[in-house]
Amino acid sequence: MDVSQYLEIFIDETNGHLQNLSDCIMSLEKDPENMDTINEIFRAAHSLKGMAGTMGFKRMQRLTHDMENVFQEVRSGNMNVTSGLVDVLFQCLDAIDAYLENVKESSDEGTDDNEAIIQELNDILAAGTGNAPQPAEKPAEKEEKPKEDPSGGRFQKKYHDMDLSEKEKEELRESEEKGMNLYGMTVYIQEDCLLKAARAFLVFKAVEEFGNIIVYNPSSQDIEDEKFGFDFSFYVASETELDRIIEVSKAVSEIEEVVGEKVVYKELTAAAAKKEEEEAAREAEKARQEETAVVPQAQAAPQAKPPQAQANKKQNGGKPVTNRTVRVDIEKLDALMNQVSELIIAKNSLVSIGSTSDGGMGSNSQAFHEQIEYLERITTGLHESVMKVRMVPIESVVQKFPRMIRDLSKKLDKKMELYMTGEDTELDRTVVDQIGDPLQHLLRNSADHGLENAETRKKRGKPETGSIHLNAFQEGNNVIIEVSDDGNGIDTENVKNKAIERGLITPEQGAALSQKEIIDFLFMPSFSMAKQISDVSGRGVGLDVVKSNIEALGGDVEVKSVLGEGSKFTVRLPLTLAIIQALMVEVRNEKYAISLGSIETIEEIMADEIKFVQAKEVIHIRGMVIPLIRLDQLLDCEPEDEEKESLTVIIVRKGDKFAGLIVDELNGQQEIVIKSLGKYINNSTKIISGATVLGDGEVALILDVNTLF
Amino acid sequence: MAGNISVAEDGRKQFIVVKIGSEQYGIDISYVDNIVRMQKITRVPKAQAYFKGIINLRGEIVPVMSIRTKMDLEPDVFTDVTRIIILKLEEHGVLGLIVDEVKEVVTLGPDEIDKVAYDAKNNKSNFINGVGKHGEELISLFDTNSIIDETESV
Repeated sequence: MDVSQYLEIFIDETNGHLQNLSDCIMSLEKDPENMDTINEIFRAAHSLKGMAGTMGFKRMQRLTHDMENVFQEVRSGNMNVTSGLVDVLFQCLDAIDAYLENVKESSDEGTDDNEAIIQELNDILAAGTGNAPQPAEKPAEKEEKPKEDPSGGRFQKKYHDMDLSEKEKEELRESEEKGMNLYGMTVYIQEDCLLKAARAFLVFKAVEEFGNIIVYNPSSQDIEDEKFGFDFSFYVASETELDRIIEVSKAVSEIEEVVGEKVVYKELTAAAAKKEEEEAAREAEKARQEETAVVPQAQAAPQAKPPQAQANKKQNGGKPVTNRTVRVDIEKLDALMNQVSELIIAKNSLVSIGSTSDGGMGSNSQAFHEQIEYLERITTGLHESVMKVRMVPIESVVQKFPRMIRDLSKKLDKKMELYMTGEDTELDRTVVDQIGDPLQHLLRNSADHGLENAETRKKRGKPETGSIHLNAFQEGNNVIIEVSDDGNGIDTENVKNKAIERGLITPEQGAALSQKEIIDFLFMPSFSMAKQISDVSGRGVGLDVVKSNIEALGGDVEVKSVLGEGSKFTVRLPLTLAIIQALMVEVRNEKYAISLGSIETIEEIMADEIKFVQAKEVIHIRGMVIPLIRLDQLLDCEPEDEEKESLTVIIVRKGDKFAGLIVDELNGQQEIVIKSLGKYINNSTKIISGATVLGDGEVALILDVNTLF
Repeated sequence: MAGNISVAEDGRKQFIVVKIGSEQYGIDISYVDNIVRMQKITRVPKAQAYFKGIINLRGEIVPVMSIRTKMDLEPDVFTDVTRIIILKLEEHGVLGLIVDEVKEVVTLGPDEIDKVAYDAKNNKSNFINGVGKHGEELISLFDTNSIIDETESV
């Protein structure tokens, strides 16, 4: 049977369940008693099993089935969660992940049976419960529907459990009054059925030949979307005999059993009322349990809370909220973005016409300007909306980190804890896709080289468990991601010695270097290749890759470190890549754009205010000594005949470093569309990060001031 | 490199004939996207000397190369007939070449094209992969790919 059309959904949902499982198992490790977490894991494993079965991935189904068994026992209190169990569970997740990877690549789960893991699971199961592994004849099913009649055997008349709305009750009553028979029916589909929704549809179609289906459980929408287990119930009003209806329903292939009986409206409502009472009592009980459970959980695992909260909501709310999102191919968004860019260029040219043809327009000019301003507002708004569509939370990237740190903690035999904030910070999709590796690298660095072992930590009076923080937040037009640890910090003396040893600097130069300049050595490509003599020098491993990755995204990274107290890596990323607000400047009649994000202030200074430090020009402004860069010299312009008396200086900032750029003229602020120079032009200095088309059709170059520091 | 101009059985190819200095050059028409008049070229600092800069071609940024500088001829003198030939090269994107004048389009058969021997001393011939004979005139045929290849390796 062709299930390929469901593959994408399957992959997506499996990913979601895996992440959910990973989060839950993490928090379970900290709080093994939390029933909510255990239930959530059970549910996720169960869904995974169901989905894998539906898609015909038998190996995956088997593995998840065994996981489910283990949790069945944990849930019913026959077994405790041990760290050994958690380890095996993580192995299971990895194995499922591997299946999923195979599915992604070849639409097939692969051939790895993962016998070892399954064996381990079963061993734990046997050891935990004190008896041989159960053949597992659907304990899950029973547990999942605690409402069902214990004496009723395998096929329950589940329609008794249905919740009826007032309107549905009304309809039932009316049908009965019209002299029709009301039947309640529950249909069981075979568990290896691949297209449950289609089968359900055929059943409905058959039944509706004889009467009206009034109430569905789950709702008809959910059934259509395959959001149901292997059974569904409905009430039907018909003039035909019940047997006949059951017969036609059973005639649909892959239907295992159909149960039903004639019902009377009065009894129905009475039963429902009783059930509601029970429900209320149960809810109250659950609420009490949750209240007690939430407190320790909140303390133990702040980072695990969001998914937890979500899980609770799902549980209480019953049916999931209808999905209000649309999947869009990123290429379509790119096309849309390009068109918005074109629109902005067109608008800019209208603006420039408006500002030059002022005189001739007379009374029209006022209206013209108003319309242009209106257009400007719309294009800016449109641009923002399109950008927002492309934004995704970094959550999808960072959510795998707690697990990674946990594994590292075991591997390195160091106790450590990862605290994350700001997972909901949003970034452009293209940036999010590429930020994972650098961040992972920084975290590994912190875990491996930053944090000391427990002994050293104790000696230094630090808590035994090291902490690593990952904080993300928005700052102006940038998103900042900080990775910090309370470990050893960077031993700058060691780094300096290494630099001298490698002949990068002379000892004299080394003495004059600031802490910051020394730390910058760590980002040099060749430096990281150094043979690791001390473990501190290991900090350089791969940092150059981190830096170049982040710079490729238009961001930068810097480090602060205090020896013995820890270090902090700050990654700064631009919110958007395609359109920026820029200040237009002129240098010898050439136009350049400087991103507004990096501009601090603009100063008018007199030529005689320029001072010299180490033969370099600086200015002294508001207590700061800022190096000056003459853009005309930097950009190889024709030298000017005479020095001007008054100079325009743009103070730009990168992190906590400043520089003053001397320009000839300011041309105001403008929204510009960044275009690439192409690959023909040699741009090794990277001073020019791109070009943009101005309103009058002229081309201006975009200066990347980050390269000037 | 000669493979560049070998074509189907019929073997006839069209070339745009341009003037650079006193010589005539042919550019394979299948690479030519467009021919535009001279316009303002924005200089790109720190770029290779033979790149005059970039232009705006209907919203697209196109780098423009001075073939004269590249071939060590005297610098361009822009006149009314100076044109920029926009080349479109698969995967490599677009590139502009400044020529003194665009003359005509000619069709040359294989028998009208002589291959040139590679002369390591003469830098110019690196970009030429044949000489076409059109009536009495000789046309040096540009090897479009070698212009690009060398550019990329810089």
